[in-house]
Amino acid sequence: MLFFDGGMGSILQEQGLKAGELPEVWNLTHGESITQIAYDYYKAGADVANTNTFGANRLKFPEGGEHSLEEIIGAAVEHVKEAVRRIHEEEPDRDCYIALDIGPTGKLLKPMGDLDFEDAVRIFADVVRIGSRLGVDLILIETMSDLYEMKAAVLAAKENCDLPIFATAIFGENGKLLTGGTPETVVATMESLGVTALGVNCGLGPDLMKPMVDQLLEYASIPVIVNPNAGLPRSEGGKTVYDVGPKEFVDDMIGIAEAGAWGLGGCCGTTPAHIAELVNRCKDIKPKPIVEKNRSVICSYSKSVTLGKRPVLVGERINPTGKSRFKQALRDNNMEYILQEGLTQEEKGAHVLDVNVGLPGIDETAMLTAAVTQLQSILDLPLQIDTSSAEAMESALRRYNGKPLINSVNGKQESMDMIFPLVQKYGGVVVALLLDEAGIPETADGRIAIARKLLAEGAKYGLTIRDFVFDGLAMTVSSDTEAAIATLETIRRIRDELHGCSILGVSNISFGLPRRDIINASFFGMALHNGLSAAIMNPSSDAMMQAYDAYLTLSGQDENCQSFTAKYAGTSAPVYNAAPGTSGGTAPAQAAAGGSRTLGECIERGLKESAEEVTEELLKTRDSLDIINEEMIPALDKVGKGFEKGTVFLPQLLMSADAAKAAFAVIRKILNASGKGNEEKKGAIILATVKGDIHDIGKNIVKVLLENYGYDVIDLGKDVPPELIVETAIDRNIQLVGLSALMTTTVVSMEETIKQLHAHKPDTKIVVGGAVLTQEYADEIGADCYAKDAMATVRYAESIFV
Amino acid sequence: MEVRRLETQYPIPRREVYRYLGLRKQTPDPPLQELIEECITELYRVAVPKYLYKIFPIQIDAEHNRLDFGFMQVPSVNLTRNLRDCEKAAVMAATLGADVDRLMHRYEVTTAAKSVILQAAAAALVESVCDVCQEEIGQIALGEGYGIRPRFSPGYGDFSISFQKPLIDTLQTAKRMGLTLTESYMMVPSKSVTAVIGFSRNHTVCHKEGCEVCTLTDCIYRR
Repeated sequence: MLFFDGGMGSILQEQGLKAGELPEVWNLTHGESITQIAYDYYKAGADVANTNTFGANRLKFPEGGEHSLEEIIGAAVEHVKEAVRRIHEEEPDRDCYIALDIGPTGKLLKPMGDLDFEDAVRIFADVVRIGSRLGVDLILIETMSDLYEMKAAVLAAKENCDLPIFATAIFGENGKLLTGGTPETVVATMESLGVTALGVNCGLGPDLMKPMVDQLLEYASIPVIVNPNAGLPRSEGGKTVYDVGPKEFVDDMIGIAEAGAWGLGGCCGTTPAHIAELVNRCKDIKPKPIVEKNRSVICSYSKSVTLGKRPVLVGERINPTGKSRFKQALRDNNMEYILQEGLTQEEKGAHVLDVNVGLPGIDETAMLTAAVTQLQSILDLPLQIDTSSAEAMESALRRYNGKPLINSVNGKQESMDMIFPLVQKYGGVVVALLLDEAGIPETADGRIAIARKLLAEGAKYGLTIRDFVFDGLAMTVSSDTEAAIATLETIRRIRDELHGCSILGVSNISFGLPRRDIINASFFGMALHNGLSAAIMNPSSDAMMQAYDAYLTLSGQDENCQSFTAKYAGTSAPVYNAAPGTSGGTAPAQAAAGGSRTLGECIERGLKESAEEVTEELLKTRDSLDIINEEMIPALDKVGKGFEKGTVFLPQLLMSADAAKAAFAVIRKILNASGKGNEEKKGAIILATVKGDIHDIGKNIVKVLLENYGYDVIDLGKDVPPELIVETAIDRNIQLVGLSALMTTTVVSMEETIKQLHAHKPDTKIVVGGAVLTQEYADEIGADCYAKDAMATVRYAESIFV
Repeated sequence: MEVRRLETQYPIPRREVYRYLGLRKQTPDPPLQELIEECITELYRVAVPKYLYKIFPIQIDAEHNRLDFGFMQVPSVNLTRNLRDCEKAAVMAATLGADVDRLMHRYEVTTAAKSVILQAAAAALVESVCDVCQEEIGQIALGEGYGIRPRFSPGYGDFSISFQKPLIDTLQTAKRMGLTLTESYMMVPSKSVTAVIGFSRNHTVCHKEGCEVCTLTDCIYRR
């Protein structure tokens, strides 16, 4: 059992620290107080005292400021060292450890906030570098309310010192971090990053903290630290006070110690008296042994998926292989395609998404990293990072928020040398392909031998069976009739002999055969029965999902067959071999599923699903250009004019736009399938929300409308530096740039962007919009046009591209 | 259950949502209304409303239009007028949490109409959270024999938006409610509010607030 100190900030406030005053400055102005606090905590029996450096970082102490960061941290460490010296004069044999205390930056990381992940790492790295040189014993990262920032801090510590790293998070009463993290995702992520101990601090008193502690203990295979507040804070005459006294505090801490926590201390509102009582009454509790939980878990910031229990579905659709539209989207830097694929697979029931953006001629590192970041900003499924480039893999692993699946390593020495260090550093469960320099063994024996080799080599990097998921390799049964049997036996033996998890790219089995869906579904069911832990598959395939649902029902994993019944009651099996031409075809186009509405009406009324259905019907009898020009454009125009007159409102305009967009998607799919290529675009337009501005809804609305009107929109996103806009405008010879800014504070960067565009690309027109802009303001900063709403931008574009 | 509780605790006035959507005084047609209700239900499902406040004695230099809150000194004609005769002021912050931003962002990719409606509904919801917070502050004021003034936020009139910074620092909003600021003083999560509420012995409180005192008379959202 290790005892930590108690509150620091709350004691300083008691001693006169004013609101708005930085507690860390007291290291310079009230050194004796700081030493005394540390001394009192050691005297009370704490093994560890923290330096007064919670907020000591470059954001609060910038270079060239009144106090240097070096000075602040130097003094902070020296005060605790002095306290240790005084203790040692009295008790020479006491073990007194000094923790370099690191709190959060107070900023939210991108993409939600504006602090870049690498900047966060640098901010923490500065503190670690300065502090670790001065002779502290460990790094304590604490009060982290965001898992992503916590990861940045741990990485900074790993990269800049060899000290033990302890990391504790602040949970709310709902059992979650403020940005959605859970005890399970905190454990999965922190353990895989290799911290020495993890835990919880601040926010709550020990009574309310107990449920979180129980969960941490259930999942963690490393020591758990618990540093609660002295109850919930209460405001009294402008002051924050805490009500739970030492006795009551320790009454609850005893339960926590007995449950298995190894580190106990306090946070806000706790005092040396609390710690003395804590040590006194808990020091003789024998800590429970720490048991290896052997869980193969991956997670996003908020959602975890355990391998080896209910089989996991990994959606395979974010992969450009064989998809010409996806390839084009990658070349155009069009992230929307990827995000749509992600959301569709989530809706269809995928538990994890594979992300592969490998395509010759693109910057895979940048693209993969951007895809991972952006997917994580709109959905919370864990991701499987899939690339053969070590550089792209490292970059994406670094930025990933949580603990991913890593796809993949194999038994070749070169592959193991490349991937294992990344798994060790960034954490993750790694997909291990059972092949090596000699190729793919034909037998299960050969594949299991490679699995053992992978485990042995992985052990050198501290990896154990829980860090692996073995790919049994589905080979095409059409070229080797024994192929499926070998794979199934491999899967079974991974479970029975190695006690590990397995994964398969299921559909490989059926290459070269007709009706691959039939083979795939049956093979999937067989593999599941042999213990498959995860499948990389297409969740939009009904046959595969049916095989999965049937397996869960038959293997006793669907209680009372409830899920199966709920999903399939009232449905009927599709009829095969029906005579061609009996379904659809002859019925009049508009009498299809959309009721009796025309496509134009569907768009005007904003009926998305109907618009899709009617378009599919129409395409059977009419040319796509006809449909666009005679049905869609007139309807969009009518709605647009209504909006301008004030009879149609923004949400209705957008409902129509969404319906038209859905209809366009149907047309594009057919065009692509028939090999006719892409429809003609009217012209390319750059859209961007300016630097410093992170709200992009206005820009996104404009984008939807412009695309519906046939323009090729190059969306540079939000918080875009002027240089990137200028560079893109020059590279692609852009005639029109649309800029959005929401706040007076960011119109400054809009002005700068315009200035740079005028200087370097003077023939480009600039249209601006956003909450704070007016015609006068737009004139003042040199814009060519002020668009008061989204339609105004469309009209301006129409005047430019005639 | 949780959704039901939030609905009761922090009701969303529909006419405010319609106003934010630019409908002025009109009622939406049934399909739009249905979509709005759908969005409101989803919003309640993901929103985690939180608010915080602290009460400070204030010093007013009416001659120079300067206010001293102890932790910040504010030069502002508008705020000085708003806090005239006040002896104390509450500073408050309210937020709906990060998941609301994620949901809006998600619909920006799939359904633009819903992202706009969510914006409007979330704006109305965070005001509703502010109302509850203000009510609580009002009770405290009343207990001490004060009446309260309408809430006034940084960025409004000549009360500089840069005062978001000391305000959220003193309330420790980053740690306690996950509310942070960007370099350009934007709040993240975006559906958040900070404000100052004056305590005055003078009970003949002027209840004019919001649109009625705003100088942007051609604003389409004006009531």
